[in-house]
Amino acid sequence: MIRLGTLFWLVLVSATGFAMFGVKYQVQALEDELARTNRATAAEEHELRVLDAEWAYLTRPATLEAMNRQFLSLGPIATKQLHATAADIPLRPPPPPAEPPPAELPAIVAAAEPAPAASAAPSAPEGVPVQAPEPAAPQTAAEPPATQSALRAMPALLEKPAAAPQLAKAVPVKTVTKPSPPASPPRRAKSLDDLIAQIMTSR
Amino acid sequence: MIAAQPFQAYDDNPCRPRHFKPPPCAPVVPDGPARKALEACRARLFFTGILFACVFGIVALRVVEVVLLEGGTAQSHMPRFRIPSPPAPARADIVDRNGRLLATTLDSPSVYANPKQILDPVDATRKLVKAFPNLKSLEVYAKLTSGKSFVYLKRHLTPHEQYEVNQLGIPGVQFQHEERRIYPDGTLTAHVIGYTGIDNSGFAGIERGLDSTLKDRREPLQLSLDLRLQYILREELQRVIDDFTAKGAAGLIMDVNTGEILSMVSLPDFDPNHPGAADPDHPDLSIADRMFNRNTLGVYELGSIFKIFTVAMALDAGTSTLASTYDASHDLHIGRFTIGDYHGKHRVLNVPEILMYSSNIGAAKMAMAAGGQRQREFLSRIGLLRAPKIEVSEAAAPHFPAKWREVNVMTIAFGHGISVTPLSFASAAAALVNGGVLRQATLVKQSPDDGPRGQQVISPKTSEQMRKLMRLVVEHGTGTQAAAPGYVVGGKTGTAEKISGRHYAEKKLLSSFVGVFPINDPKYLILTVVDEPHPNKQSHGYATAGWTVAPATSRIVQRMAPLVGVQPVDESSPEIQRALMVDTLQGKRIEAY
Repeated sequence: MIRLGTLFWLVLVSATGFAMFGVKYQVQALEDELARTNRATAAEEHELRVLDAEWAYLTRPATLEAMNRQFLSLGPIATKQLHATAADIPLRPPPPPAEPPPAELPAIVAAAEPAPAASAAPSAPEGVPVQAPEPAAPQTAAEPPATQSALRAMPALLEKPAAAPQLAKAVPVKTVTKPSPPASPPRRAKSLDDLIAQIMTSR
Repeated sequence: MIAAQPFQAYDDNPCRPRHFKPPPCAPVVPDGPARKALEACRARLFFTGILFACVFGIVALRVVEVVLLEGGTAQSHMPRFRIPSPPAPARADIVDRNGRLLATTLDSPSVYANPKQILDPVDATRKLVKAFPNLKSLEVYAKLTSGKSFVYLKRHLTPHEQYEVNQLGIPGVQFQHEERRIYPDGTLTAHVIGYTGIDNSGFAGIERGLDSTLKDRREPLQLSLDLRLQYILREELQRVIDDFTAKGAAGLIMDVNTGEILSMVSLPDFDPNHPGAADPDHPDLSIADRMFNRNTLGVYELGSIFKIFTVAMALDAGTSTLASTYDASHDLHIGRFTIGDYHGKHRVLNVPEILMYSSNIGAAKMAMAAGGQRQREFLSRIGLLRAPKIEVSEAAAPHFPAKWREVNVMTIAFGHGISVTPLSFASAAAALVNGGVLRQATLVKQSPDDGPRGQQVISPKTSEQMRKLMRLVVEHGTGTQAAAPGYVVGGKTGTAEKISGRHYAEKKLLSSFVGVFPINDPKYLILTVVDEPHPNKQSHGYATAGWTVAPATSRIVQRMAPLVGVQPVDESSPEIQRALMVDTLQGKRIEAY
């Protein structure tokens, strides 16, 4: 007859044994994984070293210069390009007005017939400048004819700067009042120096 | 009644509960031999028990030690299936001051075969020759059928070649781990970094000078070198060599406030990846010539650029002031020597004019006024009478007369009769302009918290005067072609005749220029030396420093300034004019050189 105590110890011993073997195999599995990971890390590191060396080789100054000559033809920075500090560069001018002066609006609205917003676009005259789609504000949807007439008015404003003294007075922005240059596109710069010279002269 | 019953009577009670055990009977103690055997058994059990207890105790102690005391750092003593990973590289990488890789160690396995394991030598030979077109099939076949157990097929494969061999999958062909030092930039950093031998020990340059450091450390060694400036300097020096069909050139760029060398170029150079290979561009030059680092190993009579030291010495000692005048109208005769001026003004010159027009007579007289003792002591103080200390292993000691006679005093005043390395010269010149602090030149990047090194060798006031005088040379003197608009360059030209046998050869020149910019707040010093330039059409028959290395310095300054973050300024602005004004020339008409 197996006494209770003996049974208890037997169970305990076998449980400990199983637990021990379980832990042992778990540890072995973990160690294998660790070794695998270490090997993989070493391999990656080695690969990185090779890639680093390759990158350094491919970005040698001589190679870069040859590529620059072939594709970019950039030159050393000239002193005159550096004479200005960041503080010397003027701020971007305020954006040109998207709508005509509000004084005109009421009259146009009064004469307006309700029409869907979509019809405004096809009916717009050709050669409308790029600003045309800009006034697609919520307000535009409500008053499509206003936009339409405004669009018709805009090219006129751009073509005949003399006819828009009112606008010039209200918003003295050169970009709008100046006769638009697209008729004669700027000469394409041959080199960076050329481009900078152009910018300097156009200022 | 019950109480009167005897005790034994319980057992006879048929109604007693089943779990009720009768009291144990007395142990049966056998007699005779059985009793002896039993006692022996007990004793054995007892001792076995103690033994087990001891062993378990030890195990328990060990467990406590491993788990609690060593904090889990105990290593397993059971290396299971552990394939040794490739060992870490034996040598640290070298990077430039911006972290750009300059030298690295790569695995470069060699492929070998065990012919005894090769099943089909014909097929294997065909595959190998296809993978390595420069192997000869007959040789490979002979190796594979040699019956040995180890033959090298090819040493030092590239990673790509290794991949290809793996793809071939020939049994019996294996790799041997080997390492190789790679210099991605090749000739560009050749003299600074040097090269290593087949066993990866340093043979020249930093590789040799810091060999043990590179072997010990794991993280990359960061140099003070800037690869971009190195490229600019090398290109401009090469241009000078090509334009003036010169023999060679040397140049360095130094941070005057830290002593860091940002660039050091010596031409002609070599490819550290193949140190022994002949250069297709210079088939006539020997390997030794190309490996010679002119900056640290070459000692030269640098000529007139030495006058800055004469002037600084005289001003610092107080034997001359900026207003002192010396008669330079007649040649000086001493013994069999005659000292004359290259472009003599033949009149009395003051100190700024002596430097501006580079008057040998004036400089000699200034040195004589100060005395030989003082001159020698000054040159020693600014480190020109000892070999430069630098991380590269090549450093040459200067040549100077053992007996400091009168004639030596005079010639040394304008840079003849003393030969120093360009590196020593640059360190000393940096001390003249940076406020008077001599710092040891270094090729290893310094961190800002390294603190100020170096010692004061001249007073800050003398240093300020030197800056003004050097600006004058570029503004009105011999170095006008070194001017770079916006960057306020100051400097000094030097054209020395090289000694040929026992005489100075008029046709063999050594032209040099030391430039500092911006001279009102010195940051960088550029020293360029060109060996035996020949005049060309553009230089109007001149091969002097003002026509050869001074324009190169101007180009270097203009190319490097945006890279190192020096803002151009308006040179005619009143602040700069005032900062660089030489009082004694105030109001005088400055004669063009």
